[in-house]
Amino acid sequence: MKQETDKYQFPQLEIYKESLELAHLKRKTIIFNSFVFVLAGIVLYYLLQLDAGLDTIISTMIMFVVLLVINLAFYSYDQDHYNNLKIVMYISTLGVYIIAISLIFRFPTPSMFTALFLTYAITSIYQDYKAMILSNSALFIAGSLLIVRFPTIFEIVGTSDSQTFFILVFLIVFVILLSLSSYILIKRKTFFYNQLAQIKESEIRNIELLLEIEKIKTGKHLDSEKYYESLKIFSKELSKKIGIENVFDRKIELLKDIKTLDIADVLIKYTEYTLDEINEIRYMELEVQKKMSMIGIKASKSYGIEVSRKEIFSESQFKSFRHFGDANYVKIVSFVVFYTLLKLDKPYLLELEESKVKDILLNSEYFYRVDREIINIYLDNNEVFDTIVKDHMKGVR
Amino acid sequence: MKMIINRILNSEFLTFNEVLRLKVAIVTIFLFIFVFLSIPLSSFNNFTLDINIFVPLGFSLLLIFTLLLMLFNLNRWAMHFSIYTIIGLTIYYVGGSNLFYGYILFFVTLTVIIFYQDIITYLLYGGAITVYGVIYIVQKGQSIVGVNSSGPEVSSLTYQIILIGFYVVFLIQFIISDNIYEKMNNEWVRMNKVLEKYQDFSLEYLKEITEEQGKELLYKDVKFQQTISELSIFINEFFEEKGENIAEFVEFYFFLHDQNIEEIIEDKNVSVMTRKYAKEFRKYLMDDRSELVSILFNFSTLFKGDSGYDEKRYEYSLDKLFTNKIDKLLSLAILYKYLKTEITQYDKWGKIERILTHEEVTELFVSKEFREFISFEQVNFYLDNQELFEKYL
Repeated sequence: MKQETDKYQFPQLEIYKESLELAHLKRKTIIFNSFVFVLAGIVLYYLLQLDAGLDTIISTMIMFVVLLVINLAFYSYDQDHYNNLKIVMYISTLGVYIIAISLIFRFPTPSMFTALFLTYAITSIYQDYKAMILSNSALFIAGSLLIVRFPTIFEIVGTSDSQTFFILVFLIVFVILLSLSSYILIKRKTFFYNQLAQIKESEIRNIELLLEIEKIKTGKHLDSEKYYESLKIFSKELSKKIGIENVFDRKIELLKDIKTLDIADVLIKYTEYTLDEINEIRYMELEVQKKMSMIGIKASKSYGIEVSRKEIFSESQFKSFRHFGDANYVKIVSFVVFYTLLKLDKPYLLELEESKVKDILLNSEYFYRVDREIINIYLDNNEVFDTIVKDHMKGVR
Repeated sequence: MKMIINRILNSEFLTFNEVLRLKVAIVTIFLFIFVFLSIPLSSFNNFTLDINIFVPLGFSLLLIFTLLLMLFNLNRWAMHFSIYTIIGLTIYYVGGSNLFYGYILFFVTLTVIIFYQDIITYLLYGGAITVYGVIYIVQKGQSIVGVNSSGPEVSSLTYQIILIGFYVVFLIQFIISDNIYEKMNNEWVRMNKVLEKYQDFSLEYLKEITEEQGKELLYKDVKFQQTISELSIFINEFFEEKGENIAEFVEFYFFLHDQNIEEIIEDKNVSVMTRKYAKEFRKYLMDDRSELVSILFNFSTLFKGDSGYDEKRYEYSLDKLFTNKIDKLLSLAILYKYLKTEITQYDKWGKIERILTHEEVTELFVSKEFREFISFEQVNFYLDNQELFEKYL
């Protein structure tokens, strides 16, 4: 069975994840450039100490300056900032390798060869898949070509032993280890962005679920008329108190109309407002829009929440049916209860078809919330599961 | 091997402990390669034959010990032992041969330590190996000076600067990443707790609905209990010959629903195993806002809230939602009225029947946590005019 783990991702996540990443990308671009700046200073000092000659000093420094200027230009250009910073990230990754390789050719010694490792360290600040592939490839290709094509770089004073083969083997092992390490780290980092974006969306959906269940329980819905009437009296008294004309009434009228009129009619009736202003006012509308109810619910529940240091990065925060250290029986029973509940009608969610349950459990994050062996038993025998539930639960709920 | 590759591909879904285990497994594979390579490379060594035989043998035993630690789920210990092995290998390589490939191992060792992503481990072991590397260069650097080098001093300085640079760059990265992820995780844990509060209320409403309808609670339903028992036995048959052994644990699970579970867990007269199972099952009870209930609610949200994305979808600050001053003021008044007239709180009997009083709303408005919703200016405006808020809203 082929898995599509993104199949049940909330569709709203991608854009929000991008905004989260952008904030960190800006920061990383600044840090990367600080490293390059310091490196340029060290290289300049090194070249001066070695009396490398004006041509070498100027050409090397020009490379650093060009790299820094490109970064500055892309960073300053505000439009499509996210993609701009991504492009400059790839340019910079290759750029520092070019500088390092040119230094190795200028000073063909084993000690200078290790500059490739330092370059790798600097580029790894980005923690990005494509930058990682570029960096690892550059390290591997540049490193192995230098070893194979220019073995004189590695000739050591006082020894005639050929090390080329072993240096190459060590480099290969080193690059594979680095690639695996970066791959896992970047995956985890991306997962964090995903989790944070997901919980924001999950919050909205949980509030909607709460509103839905509340409505089933109370049978009532929010009385917007009552709100608008109170607002009218309040704003009249407020205007009187602060000694200004009542500028609120027209907006309150608009709020009432937004519920019934479509946007074109609203624009005709309220010519003093632009579309952007009306769209903003729309957030305050209470019956069709849920924004203010959501803020109200969140505001009424968000106080008194404290997070201790112990809870950060604690595994217990991840809700699942496969907690480390739990007995197998517990993992089995908990999953079975969950599965059976999905197959029953609930006030907030009707019984799910077996094909739907299986599809979600296979193609969503829920696959990873169940013990691997148990979920595989289910996936291989889901029809048996379905039959058992149907046989026993006939007529219940 | 296939399992390791699968785990790497899906590593983001693993728990911290599982990721650590995976990392130790990967490092151990690489360490075996380095130990294996030490056999042909021993011809370059200055050591005697017995050292060249016994040291790699010793490393192999150390790696087997690391694997044993992993087998017993002592992954943190296994991590430490894998680091000791790579440090030992580095010392063995650079101590025996004075050749350049040995020097590369300093970077490999630092990479292995970085791989574990533990700042203290990096500071301690990474710092130690870097210091050792610098000492090695100072004392024996002349043995790896290239023929094209301008001299041993320049060569030594280059080696030192690059090794220290490598260590420092990753250290700075650690500090920055730790900071970013700690903030993100803090926010995530806090949001999780807010979500649990919503789910507490949802569950309470559901209990009240069931009560009002006079229905039997699902976990008391015999047919439901039989279903759970039969499904559990079916799964358990894949693990044990006597699948029905699980039946009494299913019974115990349902029994726990009507009990004061905290008392059972704390009761020293109850057997250790019973308390252990009670503690583990507590996470999955149906009558409490347990993990099971949270997962179920979250699962249900897959079928809710499919309105599209707009840039203010996750914005709850009235100050950021609205640019116009009148809108900011009107929204503040709406929020006040919502909190003061809608039922959002538990009463003293644990039912959702209570609204917030004016004093409670004021307390909320001035609290630090409320800056997420309203700005200082809005609070000041509210405080200056709170008698109007109280009287007319």
